[in-house]
Amino acid sequence: MAIPDNLHSRVVFWLKILLPILALAILSTLFLFSRRIDTEGALPYSEVDVTELARDQRLTDPQYSTVTDDGSALSVAAAVARPGTGDADGGAADDLVMRYDTQDGLRIDLEATSGQIDQTGGQAILRDGVTITTSTGYKLTTSGLDAALDRTKVVSDGAVTATGPLGRIDAGRMELRHGDAGIDGYVLIFNDGVKLVYQPVK
Amino acid sequence: QGATVAFGGIKSDTSQPVEVTADQLAVNQTDGTATFTGNVVVIQGDLRLGATTVRVEYAKDDRTKVERIVASGGVTLASAAEAAEAKDAVYTVANGQVVMTGDVLLTQNGGTIAGQKLSVDLKTGTGQMDGRVRTVISPKGSQ
Repeated sequence: MAIPDNLHSRVVFWLKILLPILALAILSTLFLFSRRIDTEGALPYSEVDVTELARDQRLTDPQYSTVTDDGSALSVAAAVARPGTGDADGGAADDLVMRYDTQDGLRIDLEATSGQIDQTGGQAILRDGVTITTSTGYKLTTSGLDAALDRTKVVSDGAVTATGPLGRIDAGRMELRHGDAGIDGYVLIFNDGVKLVYQPVK
Repeated sequence: QGATVAFGGIKSDTSQPVEVTADQLAVNQTDGTATFTGNVVVIQGDLRLGATTVRVEYAKDDRTKVERIVASGGVTLASAAEAAEAKDAVYTVANGQVVMTGDVLLTQNGGTIAGQKLSVDLKTGTGQMDGRVRTVISPKGSQ
């Protein structure tokens, strides 16, 4: 088929050759020059050591909440909890946070680095430095304490230092529980020798 | 009948820190009263108050302001120069008034005055003793 003479046919004639070649070129770049996909980085692997995870059963971020006999809401949360061995040992937990919300509006927050839940004894044993903050403005620190799970009762097992509206208090032991008969509401009791320093506000 | 008493010694500076030591302290979380029990000693400056039970009551509105201190069960209030003993004592912080009641015995540089009720104004240092006042002045006069 000879080269036609007029312009229109000549253009169409060359286009019929050039356009398919161009198409071929574009198609080849699609497959031949495609980007390398690194299949390695695509899958996010978690760094947690699987063997350690499998070795001991654990609960991450466990939560436990209940209502105590005297009607206050108690919530216990921890970073990691490990179930106990026997029935007496209710399991250990790290970074334990406990909160009592009593009916008359008193809120008690407990934080401890480690603790044990003693289900049969109905109490949580907090260890290694515990801080207690109450909504009435008291902040207490002690080495360890037992917090009851069935009623609002917190008993420290060692010396306590406290700061609050009263001033600074140092005592041998501390107990925060419902007042005895006749006293309504909750009572924070320091015993085994109390020393209080109060700076009158001028 | 009553006797007015010069109470120079017990003028206390109420802005000094108060230090309280006791066997036990119970703080009621609802109304904030604090009850010290078991040989309580309250020290403010050179004023010293000893009692078996001391209850500190706070102002209703501002929990940090002490309103009243009630001491009972045998109270001794001593300062540099004088000492006073009674059954109970009430110290109202706002107007610096201490009212001691029940067999009050006040010893002052040599002389002792006994009566039923002694009210002392810490700011001015004057006191008023009432009820069966008996005064004993040692013959050698005030040393």
